[in-house]
Amino acid sequence: MKHFQGYLRSNGTVGIRNLLLIIAVDECAEGIARAISDKVTNSVVLTNYNTCMYGGNEEMIATLINAACNPNVGGALVITMGCGSINPTIITTPIAACGKPVESLTCIKSQGTRSTIREGTEKAQAIADEINRVERVEVPVSQLFVGVKCGGSDTTSGIASNPSVGRAVDKLIDNGASAVAGELLELLGCEDVLRQRSINDQVANNIERLIQEEEKRWHVAGTDLETMSVGNSIGGLTTLEEKSLGALAKTGSRPIQDILKINAKQIDKPKQPGLYLSETTMLCGGAGMHFAALGCQVILWTTGGAGFNNPIVPVIRVSGNPALINDDIDVDATGIMSGTDSIEAVSERILNSLNNVINGEPTAIEEIGYAYCTLYQKDQRVEKLLGIEPK
Amino acid sequence: MNKAIRLNAADNVATLLADAHKGEQIHVISASNGLEGIITLLQDIPFGNKVAWQPMQKGQTVIKGSFSIGKSIKPIATGQMVHVHNVRSQKLDIPTAIIQQIIQQMNIQEDV
Repeated sequence: MKHFQGYLRSNGTVGIRNLLLIIAVDECAEGIARAISDKVTNSVVLTNYNTCMYGGNEEMIATLINAACNPNVGGALVITMGCGSINPTIITTPIAACGKPVESLTCIKSQGTRSTIREGTEKAQAIADEINRVERVEVPVSQLFVGVKCGGSDTTSGIASNPSVGRAVDKLIDNGASAVAGELLELLGCEDVLRQRSINDQVANNIERLIQEEEKRWHVAGTDLETMSVGNSIGGLTTLEEKSLGALAKTGSRPIQDILKINAKQIDKPKQPGLYLSETTMLCGGAGMHFAALGCQVILWTTGGAGFNNPIVPVIRVSGNPALINDDIDVDATGIMSGTDSIEAVSERILNSLNNVINGEPTAIEEIGYAYCTLYQKDQRVEKLLGIEPK
Repeated sequence: MNKAIRLNAADNVATLLADAHKGEQIHVISASNGLEGIITLLQDIPFGNKVAWQPMQKGQTVIKGSFSIGKSIKPIATGQMVHVHNVRSQKLDIPTAIIQQIIQQMNIQEDV
């Protein structure tokens, strides 16, 4: 895989989908956004469900803006109610700055819901017409940035799907593409391996610090969180490091260039091709949008057997569990569990599927199972209480 | 014949790909499905759990997928189950009461 056919954006990034994003800046505007989206093909609704206030929600708004700048998005329509504190220009200015057509509408100024839907549909259709004129062109695979994530994990993940995705990731990196993983809490116990794989001490120190911060956020005395469950052990996992190394296997073996930070002040982007870690959350829905904000065009997702999806960044699902596999799964790794298929052969099928998807073929459940654009953020007040400050 | 996969050439354990029983001969395969050898199980080992591929001394590093996953707390013979009853984490131990609960629920024979 040296090239693929993608949508070249004016800022030089390349999308594998050509979507119109309809952003409901205030949750009360979601109905308007959905009514418009129903009438415009290839449109996706992204709602800030949390609050219409800006203060304290900067990280979520940054994720929203960066997701709109994802190369799979061709343009955006931004809708506010008009009574909240998030000025639409906070959203439209950076989207316009990355070279995308963007328009905004305020419900109160547009004389109410019905007329905003009418006016919004016209604007959305105009942007869609402009986007639809963009055609796929051949670009080098160095333009590809792949998110890697696991979910619904079981014993088969560590043996079949994670090592197979890891092998595929190694091959992608060797071909000049980039990849990124997150789920820092699940890397507890891998610090030595991560240090060896980091390109320098500074990167290793940053990874260690950000893992420790994530541990602080989640391991709060008196609250219920199992890092290592009895079920994990009965499934065959003996120690925390065995569980974590199984999860790390999906990142392959190549050097880690850096850890991309996601916080209220910055959302990092890769500076050179290669493998990265990031602050992408372990929570699947939020992770989908974190990958979108980092600029990933596609996600490789390993699972026992579940159908996670994201409407902006297509998700290729890999499962090795013969009891749970169904037609939601894009790549069947169950042969590894019966000793009839190899990690090498499955990694080739993953790359094959990836090649098809980035060139335009839909994944197994793309546009079938509706998935919400979940915006996850760290609570700034809790961060303050825990003494965590972005550096 | 039931199989166990040894993910890396440096590993001293292999993971069972099916439930297997004491006295059963197991084909140990590599990640590329080559036959590495045959071992006889010294106890019942359920699917997804590990069997010792090489004998281990007390305090030896247990290696899976080329990485250390902990240290043995007693000698382990080839064919024995490798799990919470004879291995400890080097990072964060599972509480003793929980280990006992796991051993009981899985009905692990500790001395074989």
